[in-house]
Amino acid sequence: MASAAANVPAIEAVDLVRTYQTHTGVLRRRPMTVDAVRGISFDVRAGELFGLLGPNGAGKTTTIKMLITLLLPTSGSARVMGFDVVRDTTAVRQRIGYVFGGDRGLYDRVSGVDNLRYFAELYGVEPSEQKRRIGALLELVGLTGRENEKVEGYSRGMRQRLHIARGLLHDPQVIFMDEPSIGLDPVGARELRHTVRSLVDAGKTVLLTTHYMFEADALCDRIAVINAGRIVALGTGSDLKDAIAERTIVEIETFGVTDEAVERLRGDADVSAINMEERDQSQILLVQSDRGAHITQRLLSLLGDTRVGKVVAREPTLEDAYVHLIATTGDDEARSARAASVQ
Amino acid sequence: MSSSRTLRLISFVTWFNVKMLLSSEFFILLTFISPLIFATLAFFLFRSGGGTAGQTLLYVALGAGMMGVWSTTLFGCGGAIAWQRWEGTLELLVNAPSRYDYILVGQTFGAVVFGFYGIVATLAWGVLLFGMPLEATFPLLLPLSLLAAIVSLGALGMLIATTFVLYRHANALGNLLEYPIWLVAGLLVPVATLPFWVRPISWLLAPTWGMEAIRGATIGADPPILAIAMCFILAVAYYVAARVTLVFVLAKARRDATLSLQ
Repeated sequence: MASAAANVPAIEAVDLVRTYQTHTGVLRRRPMTVDAVRGISFDVRAGELFGLLGPNGAGKTTTIKMLITLLLPTSGSARVMGFDVVRDTTAVRQRIGYVFGGDRGLYDRVSGVDNLRYFAELYGVEPSEQKRRIGALLELVGLTGRENEKVEGYSRGMRQRLHIARGLLHDPQVIFMDEPSIGLDPVGARELRHTVRSLVDAGKTVLLTTHYMFEADALCDRIAVINAGRIVALGTGSDLKDAIAERTIVEIETFGVTDEAVERLRGDADVSAINMEERDQSQILLVQSDRGAHITQRLLSLLGDTRVGKVVAREPTLEDAYVHLIATTGDDEARSARAASVQ
Repeated sequence: MSSSRTLRLISFVTWFNVKMLLSSEFFILLTFISPLIFATLAFFLFRSGGGTAGQTLLYVALGAGMMGVWSTTLFGCGGAIAWQRWEGTLELLVNAPSRYDYILVGQTFGAVVFGFYGIVATLAWGVLLFGMPLEATFPLLLPLSLLAAIVSLGALGMLIATTFVLYRHANALGNLLEYPIWLVAGLLVPVATLPFWVRPISWLLAPTWGMEAIRGATIGADPPILAIAMCFILAVAYYVAARVTLVFVLAKARRDATLSLQ
């Protein structure tokens, strides 16, 4: 049986693989295997804030669920505070907190403080400690004074803060946060980031998944970019940005750009990656190139009749690095991951 | 975990589940109103069949009350699992450091204790509206009979709930179990009137013996010792079966990733 030692990583994943068995069709059901996680290895040091960054369906939540003992890995191994996530489930569960984003995971018909009392009991918090601990956590997440209201009347931000308080009830050493800022307004998201940072300052280890680049950049000591079930980059935010430091990003505001025009840009030999953001009336094309701002005129001519607004050439950000990584590693692998083996 | 902490955990979960059930209009209707409807229908049915003796009315009222208890057990145990799956709390409960079977025990007894209100309500209904005499031939055995029925129904509810953890559509199966058990367990008509081949099924069901114990203590000719003993024996058997099933179910849920599916 494993025991936690002082110098072991807080989290250690070695070649984690997870496949799901599912099926297609109603009358003629065809079994299908989906490879959600395909050989992930990383470790997180005690007291580190580690980010798992990736698009929807990349395998972030599946990875977290294996690490918190909710899912069995198909192969590979993982340890949390030195304890095996398959065999030593109780030891792992006593040492971790799990917080996820969204509206689910709370008892809506009772008050916030009733939710916390209930989970405090389930998490084995000493009865003499419960009142003080719940009071302190309500204070930490800014819900003091609202704790006796039913959760069904809470805003999304309040629910998210209650989730965090729940996840911290038993003072866990390692906290897993799965997209905790999803759906929060900018002020709520900023407060959440402040809370996460304060947890790390207090010595906690945090594994955070997000697909908000600025959040990962602002918070995380190291970031692993995950795509189609594989880690495609791992390092600090600066390391990831350095990978495309020589690039230039040309931002082109367009009005009603067609798919054909975007494909013409994508087909240009000097264009490395393109990302498009939809705005109310316009679209922002983010074009990555190794040729500096010189390519701008050619890009505009490739857009043809498309109405163009503001054009800016700038240095790459972490978001650009992320787009580059996803664009260069995703397509084929994502396809093969989804339709891995139709039997 | 020490035994005092285990007891505290179970009683806390029971209290929390009762609180959750009291906040649900569906359960209020199911538990507070439906036994009265069952009782009224049964009283009129038995009256039209010529059964007007006081003991017959008491037989009917207890049966109707037990029908309500069974419905609450079924929906309060299995339905609670389905509801928690939908709310996203099931994963958190399974993933808590506390043993999940203790949590299930608390949830189940919350539902069953809540459901036993149905018996009280139908008795009061019978006395007030139908002039039913309230009497017990073995009054000292009545509390024990009620306890035996609560414990055995709770254990059966727990066994049912374990399957609900695994299958997200198990609620549909739960609905199917409501009316047949009313019949097979002798809540409406005596088990002795059922076809011979049905009776072994009746003997394996907690509501059969729970009903037998309560009716025995109130209108029986002999003390319901066998029925009370069978309640406790079945409760132990259900609990052991639930524990064994739960080990398999939780391992399968981790393997098949079914806990968060809605």
